[in-house]
Amino acid sequence: MKIGDHVQKLGLRVGTIQVLAFILLTLLGIRLYYLQVVRGEYFSERAENQRVRFIPIPAPRGAIFDRNGKLLVDSRPTYNVVLSNEPLKSVNVTDRVETYSNGLKMDRQFVVERLSLIKKQNEFETMVLKENVGIEDITWVEAHSLEFPELRVELQPQRFYPLGTTLAHVLGYVGEISPNQLKEPEFQDKGFRPGDIIGKGGLEQYYDEYLRGRPGYRKVLVDSKGRVQSELEIVKPQAGQDLVSTIDLDIQNRAEKQLAESATKRGTIIAMDPNNGEMLAMASAPSFDPNIFVKGSSTPEGRQAIAAYWQDEKRPLYNRAIQGRYPPGSTWKLPESVAGLQQGAITVAHSNLACGGGITIGNKFTRCMGSHGSPPLSYAITKSCDGYYYRLALKMGIDGVIKMVEDFGYDKRSGIDLPNEKVPQTPKSWMPYIVKNEGKWSDIRTVYSGIGQDTVVVTPISMLRAVASIGMRGKMYTPHFLKEFKAIPAVGTEGESDYFAARPAVGFAHPEPKILEATPDQWDMVIKGMWGVVNGGGTAGAIRIPNFEIAGKTGTAQVAELGKDVGDKKDHAWFVSFAPAYKPEIAVIALIENVGFGGSHAAPAVRGVYETYMSLHDKGAAPPETVAKR
Amino acid sequence: MVAIIEKRDLKDFDWLTALLAIAIASFGVWQIHNATPTEGYWSKQIIGILIALVAFIIVCFTDYRRLIDSAPIFYVGGLILLFLVLTPLGVQVNGQKAWVRLPIVGQFQPSEFVKIPTVLMLAKYFGARKSGNLRLKEMLIGGAIFAGPVVLILLEPDAGQAITYFPILAAMFFLSGIKIRYVIITVVAAAILIPVAWTVGVKTGKIKRYQQERILAITDPDSGDPRGYGYHTIQSTITVGKGGLAGNQGDTETSQSVLKFLPEPQTDFIFAVTAENTGFIGCVSLLLAYAILLSRMIAGAREASDRAGMLVIMSIVCGMVFQIFMNVGMALGVLPVIGVPLPLMSAGLSALLSTFVAIGFVVSVKLRRFVN
Repeated sequence: MKIGDHVQKLGLRVGTIQVLAFILLTLLGIRLYYLQVVRGEYFSERAENQRVRFIPIPAPRGAIFDRNGKLLVDSRPTYNVVLSNEPLKSVNVTDRVETYSNGLKMDRQFVVERLSLIKKQNEFETMVLKENVGIEDITWVEAHSLEFPELRVELQPQRFYPLGTTLAHVLGYVGEISPNQLKEPEFQDKGFRPGDIIGKGGLEQYYDEYLRGRPGYRKVLVDSKGRVQSELEIVKPQAGQDLVSTIDLDIQNRAEKQLAESATKRGTIIAMDPNNGEMLAMASAPSFDPNIFVKGSSTPEGRQAIAAYWQDEKRPLYNRAIQGRYPPGSTWKLPESVAGLQQGAITVAHSNLACGGGITIGNKFTRCMGSHGSPPLSYAITKSCDGYYYRLALKMGIDGVIKMVEDFGYDKRSGIDLPNEKVPQTPKSWMPYIVKNEGKWSDIRTVYSGIGQDTVVVTPISMLRAVASIGMRGKMYTPHFLKEFKAIPAVGTEGESDYFAARPAVGFAHPEPKILEATPDQWDMVIKGMWGVVNGGGTAGAIRIPNFEIAGKTGTAQVAELGKDVGDKKDHAWFVSFAPAYKPEIAVIALIENVGFGGSHAAPAVRGVYETYMSLHDKGAAPPETVAKR
Repeated sequence: MVAIIEKRDLKDFDWLTALLAIAIASFGVWQIHNATPTEGYWSKQIIGILIALVAFIIVCFTDYRRLIDSAPIFYVGGLILLFLVLTPLGVQVNGQKAWVRLPIVGQFQPSEFVKIPTVLMLAKYFGARKSGNLRLKEMLIGGAIFAGPVVLILLEPDAGQAITYFPILAAMFFLSGIKIRYVIITVVAAAILIPVAWTVGVKTGKIKRYQQERILAITDPDSGDPRGYGYHTIQSTITVGKGGLAGNQGDTETSQSVLKFLPEPQTDFIFAVTAENTGFIGCVSLLLAYAILLSRMIAGAREASDRAGMLVIMSIVCGMVFQIFMNVGMALGVLPVIGVPLPLMSAGLSALLSTFVAIGFVVSVKLRRFVN
């Protein structure tokens, strides 16, 4: 120190400042060491996480066709305006409400809802603000991309059901996976994420695994506003497999028309190829429009429409063909006839049982609708003699009835490739409860079970399957809609992370048909009775088609006691059939709710379906062989 | 004003200090380029360095004592410039009115330049005294000289810039023989009063929410809104940490500043850019360069032939240490975000010019260490 004095100790003071400066610089060095050397990797990762984004590329879902290649379902490209929460983090979103609702012409309240929802999401999440936008909205978003970096237009394939309400129950619909489903291990294991689209109901749900494609993604570099700077990697999606179904759209349309023209417009018509179980048509009325579920859940109107479906007392969402359970009434007599012969309660030679105009059990008389003397089996079927079947059921005993339930598969699902099929209720399932509550199984219940009432309710599909097997003389096939899934080629490079293996064509597995043992003359006898129902002056004589011989059975299922069966409580009308009688090609069942007598309501509905079938297959005259057998 | 450069001058010229300053500034140009490769800040900075070097050489070879003698003129001129900022001639940049636009000269930040006249004015006053402890009257007069520019800067308002003036006054008092007990009392009082003032201020609402957030962002960066004030601190910390040991030099694709995650990368957060690109090795080298530069300056102060020269150098040293610590501490997430530029590194002509002029004084004082 050149200058200074003792009092001030200037040298020491300058030294103090120097030491202090070095201490401060050293502190910075220590902090640097901690940030860069100790935690360098952590921050490096954080930096990467905030600049790298995965933008999913949705995979097109497989289309669904009918057996002749007519389109039933496909996906359409739609443009959605998507909202990402990242650029909104530091923005007061109330400022955006007016702008969005004016610019995109949206409901103000809905914009408020969406904005508050996106603010609650995790970082980097996106959400659809407006679906299916037109060129006007797209240009608006593009024009304001600097102002509102949170908005983006995204191409998204949207499921489209061109047929509307037709076939809706069979096709089902798609929607975002629900929060509850996401919690289930079944979905977690497959790597589902919120917002993923999955099949809900129908074939969409049953074959979701095949229809769904494998989504790809773009790995991109973004800046602090989330704007894409460059693409780092692209993994292309693999489309889902196209489903060719066994449905014949022409037959389906006719079935829907028949239901629409029915008195109550409620019921179901199913058509099947009895030779292999292929479903030709399945209509259930009233129906719903799956498009509403696809588009609607994001708009208030759509949500209202969906809620209306759920609340509708006519239950349009419910597939009556496989979920409806109805007393089978006289259609029940067909499996019972076969079982009576099989079990030896009656024989081909001695099949006569008394009608008696009814039967007295204890002190209660239960009547037959006619007076049929002591008819043989075929005549009892043709005329639907209740008295005969009261006595047959008693002869078989309730154990015989239960054996029949098991033989004809009424104690199980039919195995159709649709979700949520119901199992019929029969004396087999009721037995434990009845015995527990009443002490024993009474004869009157056996008598009622003989005519398909009281303890019997069956699904239309189970009844069609059972009766078709009679036409096939004991061969009972599994009903199904799947003909084939088309193959899809591999995507990407084998061995790389972007590789999706090829998906081979898949057909229906065709389980072995269940075999019901009966002699040819036993089958002949039952089929003869069914032939007579339409062609031999039976209960459905009115629907006879020359040269195309229908074998069928009417049924009138009692909903309420006699005398109260009016209006909504009217009987359900059944008609179950196959044709041609001695070499069946098609089996059709109709159930019309609360219309009354089967012969006058269900049978004509079935006839319409046969007419369409005939016109499609150019059926002018019946084959000579059929005529000879008559 | 320009003295004749004699042979002896060149021999005694402090080449190391000059070259260190130029080296750091050049390193800064490289980092400005890394921060914003597509914008012109780095080329402007080169021009700035050239202008600053001219000023630097002029100051070096001018007798600082003559400049100190003229200090009142510079000081008054400085106050006028600061006053102009408050007039319609003042220009608002980034929401802050700290600039002034003059014909021919263009736009500049007076608060950067006025440090020099303030230092000179204070050095003139305190350099005239002989020995003994600093008296209260002297402290008050010194305080009044200091208050002139600081009050005007606070009126802009630019608290960040005003803060950088305090080390100058502190150095003046400390090296003019203020009693050590006052120093101790000040330190102790600050240690007690600052937390108390914080608590009271927060409770009564005198410290506004956004001001609190700047502090809370340091103490607990992850719990605050990462998009609010903590965002700058978090992003700067990430950027520094990402550099690791050796840095990610040249990787503009992942650059935090190019992707705009790091705010103000070419000015306030130039140190974070340096950290990202050159890593721990580069940062420690830079801090060492500052340490050597400061040591050279302090050595110059020890050799100064008069008190005023010593005071000029030491107050410049204290100002620089303070700015380096504030700026780097902010980049490292340990100090609140205050817009203090990093000397010689941050883009900006005003700061560059005033720093080179300051170092020019140091060299000038050293050149005249044998002269009376």
